[in-house]
Order: sequence, then structure tokens, then C-alpha cells
Amino acid sequence: MQDARRLELEEMIARIALGDRDSFEALYDATSAKLHAVCLSVLKDRPEAEETLQEVYIKIWQNATRYASNGLSPMTWLITIARNRAIDRLRARSSRPATAPTDAAAVLPSGEPSPEAATIRAQEWEMLDECLAQLADQQAGAVRAVYLEGVTYADLAEREGKPVNTVRSWLRRSLLRLKDCVTR
Amino acid sequence: MTEDTTLTPDEHDSALAAELALGLLEGPEAEAATTRMTEDAGFAQQVRDWQERLAGLAMQLTPVMAPARAKQGIRERLGFGMAPLAEDPTETRPWWRGPIGALAGLVAVAAVAAFLWLPGNAPITPTGAQPDYQAQLQSEAGDLRVAARLDGREMEIDLQDGAAGEGRDLEIWWIKPDGSAPISIGLVPRSGNARMELPADLDPTEGIKIALTDEPAGGSPTGQATGPIVAVADLTRL
Repeated sequence: MQDARRLELEEMIARIALGDRDSFEALYDATSAKLHAVCLSVLKDRPEAEETLQEVYIKIWQNATRYASNGLSPMTWLITIARNRAIDRLRARSSRPATAPTDAAAVLPSGEPSPEAATIRAQEWEMLDECLAQLADQQAGAVRAVYLEGVTYADLAEREGKPVNTVRSWLRRSLLRLKDCVTR
Repeated sequence: MTEDTTLTPDEHDSALAAELALGLLEGPEAEAATTRMTEDAGFAQQVRDWQERLAGLAMQLTPVMAPARAKQGIRERLGFGMAPLAEDPTETRPWWRGPIGALAGLVAVAAVAAFLWLPGNAPITPTGAQPDYQAQLQSEAGDLRVAARLDGREMEIDLQDGAAGEGRDLEIWWIKPDGSAPISIGLVPRSGNARMELPADLDPTEGIKIALTDEPAGGSPTGQATGPIVAVADLTRL
């Protein structure tokens, strides 16, 4: 089921790379509500999220030719584009110096085919909730806030009333624990 | 919150890959890590592994349908002026374009769409064989009436009576019988009709409920319902 969906999305992206507009519209219909939710989660503003969503799909159209070689599963690729775009906008809003999340990973050839990676990913996604629950609430909350809301180390430090280095240290620990748990 | 204990080199690399994937690095550190990704295939793979892993967090978000104008905006920006051949020529596109003001345009489109929708003239949707569904929503006091009608995957929302409060909007939610979080499918138009397409992962069946909540203008800022439920009704097969 998961596999069928992944293949379907990969097929759509492959057709989009050839300039197929129908497949582009089909991909939009299949995925835009999820990507819109990602934009909203980061931006917390309906009009901005809608605008960002449009930029995201334009980027998808333009970069589809590079998808096949990047080694990411289709949903991850799409979500990563949406998240990065939304975070760029969030950070531009506060006119903080750009710490643009890397789009490079989304376009960098990996030379590695993805079927096994997809299976691993599916297992990790199933474990994610359970593993987050094993972290302290504060740590799990920080991981979620950083990914889903674009919170920075500076934001976390302010929120917790701790130095940036301290916050960074425990977030890194949390991430490593999460990884150990989901890859177990 | 423990004090920093030394990480092994492997742990350090993995944490760095996570930080790069998350966009947490700044300045020279971000540059160095980005450069490393182009030179060190193992590190690049770790970054991608983190992207895969963390995307699971986004998969848990409740989908929020974007308004139809977002799709149209993308088409226009990409220069897809003409409807793809696979689409029915009676589709609303020609009416969306041109000099009509955006908002007035939407209302006009909805009105025209309502006509185009008459039996025998209905646009063919990919899943045209599906039966029609409807939900008739009414507030408790009876001062608000909204009709929702599904034709294939196209949903028409018709504001028949009443309106959202000043600076507020009524948001439409799709509630599955399995108890999962309601999914936003858009906003009730300020007047008249609006049409929208259902996201691919929503399928009309018996047991679905449609609800309206009172939200800030533009809809819930979080994608989850924040205001009180104003009306709720079953989606019933026509």
C-alpha cells in the first residue's frame, strides 16, 4: 500500500520531469493538502502559507528532472521542499540573517537507488511516535518545534532561559537518542 | 537538560547532519557542512537519512486543503494558460482569468459554476462514476444555513443564509468516522457559492460529517480547528 503510493508518486514526478502538466496537476491534487499543512505549521498564517505553497509547486515543476537522482523518497522530497521554502519565508520575516536550510541535499545526486531506503524509512516513520514518547516531553517538544515550526537554537535558548550552547547540546543528544531508537 | 558530554566522532557527524537537515546551522558552520556534503558521500547520505526520518513528523500533520485559487495561481505563474486537454473545456478556467478582480472573480466563478453544474452539463471529473453526496448545515439558532454538495470530487459550498462575524471566517471541516483529526477543506464564501476539489486522500462515504467552525479571518492559523463548532451535519448520499 505504502509502496504502491510511493511508486505512483515517483511515476508522477518522472512524468512531470518530461513536462507532463496532467501529472503535475495530479501530483498537486494528491499532495497539496499535506504540503499546505507543512507551510501552515511553520508560518501560522493562512495567506503566507498559500503563497508559499504556490512557490513550492513551481519549484517542484522546475526541479522534477533532478528528483530521480537524489535518493529521497517522493514524499520526503516534497515535504523537504515545502519545509525549506516555508522556513526561508519565516526567517525573511524576522529579517534575521539567513540560515537557509539546505536545499542542496534535495538536488545532490546520491548514486544510490532508493527501494531499500524506502523500506527503512517506512519502518522509521512507524517508530517515530513511540520513540518521541520515550524522550522527555521538553525534548520531544523541541524536536517537533524545530522541524515543524522552524524554531532555531536562539529561539529555544530564549524559550528555555538557557545559553545557546546548552540548548544545542541537549537537542543534539535528543536527536541522537531519537535516531538510535528509530533505527533499532 | 544535561551538560554537554563529549560525543564520539560518529555521533558528532550524525548530529551535524541532523542540524544541517534541520537548517539549524549558521554562518561558517553552515557553509562548511554544506561543502562537506558535496565532498563526503557518507555525510551526504546521513543528511538525507535525517531528512527521511524527520519527514515522518510532517506526515503526522493533519492535511489542510488549500483554496482552489492557489492551484490556479500556480497554473498562471507557470504559463499554463490553456486547460490541459484532459480537462473538460467547460471547466471554470476561462472565467477565472482576465480582468475580473480576484475576489469578485471568485464569486462570479462560483455563480457561473453553479450554472455549469446543471445535470447534463456537469464537468466530467476523473471519478465521475461516484454518486452525489450532500450535507445541509444549520446553526442551532437557525440563523446560518450552508449547503455542501459533492459531485464526483468537486464540492460546492453554498451560503444560503447568515454570515461569519466581522473579521471572522467559517471554516469547513471533513470529519471521518474513525475519530481522526478533522481535515480543513476550505472556507465558506462570504456570499453565494464556492467550488473546491477534494484532496486525493479524502473519499466521500456514508459516516463522514461536515462541520463549520468560527475562525479568525482567513481560517484557522494552525490548520486545526480553534473556534467553536457552529454547525455539523452528516454527509448523505443523494
